[in-house]
Amino acid sequence: MSIFKRIDDLSSSPRIRKGWFSAALIIFLTLIIIPAVFVLLEAVIEWESVSEVLGDPTMTGMIWGAVSNSFSIALIVTILDIVVGLPMAWILVRRSFRGKRYLDTLIDMPLAFPTAAVGISVVMFWGAPEGVAIPGLGLVMSPYLIVILLHTVFTFPYMVRSLAGILDQIDPSFETAGMTLGASRLTAVRTITLPLFRAGLVTGFILCFARSLSETGGTYIALQMLGVSSSFFTGPTFIKYMKDLPGADPTGALIVVSVIMIVLAVALLLVAKYMMNRLRLPWTKVWPVWERRLSKGLAARSKDILTFVFLFVIVILPSFYIFAYLTAPSGVADLNSLFGAIGISFAIAGIAVVFNIVFGIPMAIYIARNGNTRLGVLLDNLVNIPLIIPTTVLGLSLSMFWGSFNLPAGAAFFLVTLGHISFTYPLVVRNITGAISEVDPSYEEVARTLGAKPFRAFSKVLLPIVQSSVIAGAILAFTRSLGETGATISISKDVVTVPVYIMDLIEQGQYYQGAVAAMILIVICFILMFGVRYLTGRRKQGA
Amino acid sequence: MKIKLDHVSVKFGDLYAVKDISMTIDKGEYVTILGPSGCGKTTLIKIVSGILRPTEGRVFVDGEDVTDVPIEDRDTGYVFQNIALFPHMTISDNVGYGPRVRDLDSEAVTGTSRQYLELVNMLERAGMMPNEISGGEQQKVAIARALASGSKMLMLDEPLSALDARVRMELRYEIRRLVKKLGITVLHVTHDQEEAMSVSDRMILMRNGGIAETSTPLDMYRRPETIFSAYFVGETNFLECTVVGKTKTGKTTVRLRNDTIVRVAKSKFNVGDPVVISVRPEHVYTASDGLPATVRNVVFMGTYWRIRTLSATDDYIEYNIPADDDIPELGDEVFLVFNKKATLVFARPSEGLEEAIRLE
Ligand SMILES: Nc1ncnc2c1ncn2[C@@H]1O[C@H](COP(=O)(O)OP(=O)(O)O)[C@@H](O)[C@H]1O
Ligand SMILES: [Mg+2]
Repeated sequence: MSIFKRIDDLSSSPRIRKGWFSAALIIFLTLIIIPAVFVLLEAVIEWESVSEVLGDPTMTGMIWGAVSNSFSIALIVTILDIVVGLPMAWILVRRSFRGKRYLDTLIDMPLAFPTAAVGISVVMFWGAPEGVAIPGLGLVMSPYLIVILLHTVFTFPYMVRSLAGILDQIDPSFETAGMTLGASRLTAVRTITLPLFRAGLVTGFILCFARSLSETGGTYIALQMLGVSSSFFTGPTFIKYMKDLPGADPTGALIVVSVIMIVLAVALLLVAKYMMNRLRLPWTKVWPVWERRLSKGLAARSKDILTFVFLFVIVILPSFYIFAYLTAPSGVADLNSLFGAIGISFAIAGIAVVFNIVFGIPMAIYIARNGNTRLGVLLDNLVNIPLIIPTTVLGLSLSMFWGSFNLPAGAAFFLVTLGHISFTYPLVVRNITGAISEVDPSYEEVARTLGAKPFRAFSKVLLPIVQSSVIAGAILAFTRSLGETGATISISKDVVTVPVYIMDLIEQGQYYQGAVAAMILIVICFILMFGVRYLTGRRKQGA
Repeated sequence: MKIKLDHVSVKFGDLYAVKDISMTIDKGEYVTILGPSGCGKTTLIKIVSGILRPTEGRVFVDGEDVTDVPIEDRDTGYVFQNIALFPHMTISDNVGYGPRVRDLDSEAVTGTSRQYLELVNMLERAGMMPNEISGGEQQKVAIARALASGSKMLMLDEPLSALDARVRMELRYEIRRLVKKLGITVLHVTHDQEEAMSVSDRMILMRNGGIAETSTPLDMYRRPETIFSAYFVGETNFLECTVVGKTKTGKTTVRLRNDTIVRVAKSKFNVGDPVVISVRPEHVYTASDGLPATVRNVVFMGTYWRIRTLSATDDYIEYNIPADDDIPELGDEVFLVFNKKATLVFARPSEGLEEAIRLE
């Protein structure tokens, strides 16, 4: 009897199906959620060292500085993304022009750039730090501003994608109807399309905010290159700094900063969810003359031009600037260690993705099919938690959780993989849940009435329909795992993935080697992302 | 308002959606645009309302060239095929949208909104959201919204196609009554010929991006100018034949394929011309002598019987008999005669009959 048939037979028993879902649920809770927030419990266990930190004004000052940097930068970056992302999304969805396909691809490109690589590239472009022979623009900028510019590069594509995704679903005839009633384009967009858009805005907001809050590797590299990594902190780089600090026991400070970040991030998520359901943009007032003036001619054209200038000067050029290193080779890159690091990165990302697909699908099906039950809603919210907690905090929390089990020394690789499983889990599950809830359950029911067992109905009917979302989620998770620094370093110093390797090189002042490693990583991510996109795109056309 | 199109064309890529259309609509006229799906009806009214800009040609309203005037200044009410009520606004806010974006104060906005909701008998639904009212009610609100901005022109894109048959009937007369009362010029797009005939002053029949024929409903039914109009408006039987006789007054005689000689209406054709005659089922009768035909199918149509026969000329010919009458058996032989005044003659199309009536 083949395995397939075996599973198929087993699947017709409700007990087995329930057991399977329970297994997925237990894995989700014990491997993903509890370790991710364990640090909250640790704060109670280690209350002594925590209260010691709270009583130390220098320490609290540093922590507060780091946290407020993180949140204010994330907020500024996200607002910037929204302001420029909206016209960009409009151009992508509502206009047709030649070369639109290329613009589409160009916007996605920074998504394939690991943030560590972007960190080097952005600082080179804007700052030209010492030791880099390639002239950048040489502007003098504060680290705060550089970090904002850096975070804008890798959050902007997320924002444009989420906005464009929703805009695509909004029937353009609403806007046109408004215009036939005498509204200028700006008025129509503001009073009709934007309010319909709320969900997209909030999703984009959460994605970008969380991404900025979380980012460690690129930020640390940038600060390191600017020579301020021990005086200017964001939440995650503060954690890295404290962990590396020789001598003093950092536990108390690490717990305090982690708890603050988790609490604020979760509060933010809740507020955002609330706004998504309740908020009514109170923008019913209309200024016909002004809005009309802004809708046409010079004002409208300069808005488009500024959008493109932003895309190229703030996002595209700085991310590609790293390739300028190719023009001035210096020294030889140590390819052996690099490929060792690539091997480790791929192993971790691969295991994490496969694990998440296997154990995420039952969860996704449950959430999609039980979205209105209490457990469904609860799980739906819980799945978002690893997404919103900064990965460095998540890694820290996870290592504290498993640290209490006295694992053998060789478990570092295993723990890092668990960490990557955690923060990529929502990316996989979210994508699949979204796709499944779009599928009419009657397809599966029809298959069942025709005599298919549940597993067969799933694998032959549901899976083929949602397969492209599974693949999309998998790619997203894979590239995110490849690019992740924060979770890795906060769990173990011994697991050298590519971004960690790059960061070490930069720390040692070996910019050229770092840049070469970054470029190789970029090229790999590119081939992966566009290769799979090409494959799935072709299959869709063929079908 | 008087609307005039002057050699207007719209191209999407290499394809003409509307090709070289010229037409005039008088002030207060109710005109329907009829035609098969994809023939360019929506495109045509989008040009008139400024939603689309013509690739070639000009648009005039009251003699003024408005081709380059943007949508928001056109002052043309437009009701979308999918209704497009703003889902996040109440019924009354929807109707008040036009006045509001023209910067009327809030009292005037509410007042206008109430006034137009009253006109369509929807005032008691004012506080509801669009998804809380029925399809027919949504359509009435959409019309009120289009009119509340004060426009004197109204474009309706298949406004009734999504509604139940009974609601559809009631609503179409209600719309006509309303716009006539307000003196509004209406272009009403539909693919339903019965709807077009029952509400319009004039019908424009479109085909393939062009105008096939323009005339009053009665004329288009009684005296269609083209084979396509005869086929699309109402139902008809076509028979290929040749002119064999013609009197000085124009009365024509034709020979059918089986050599039967039939007298038909007056025509401009000469002896020997290849022609097609068109005779509607209600103008075909049975008699003791005439064109022999075999009954192939009998269908009860609700108020009458439709009998389908295969005639000796090898054409299918259909006729009606009243619901209460006795019906023939399948395979029975009957003899058909045509009402000669109602039997129209057309030149036989060089591209073939099939091609001439193809809908695309
Ligand atoms: N935006 C567009 N882009 C390309 N082709 C279009 C567009 N709008 C309409 N068409 C084409 O123009 C033709 C006429 O369309 P339309 O005016 O919508 O027809 P109707 O309303 O009579 O069904 C169709 O062949 C349609 O496919
Ligand atoms: Mg149409």
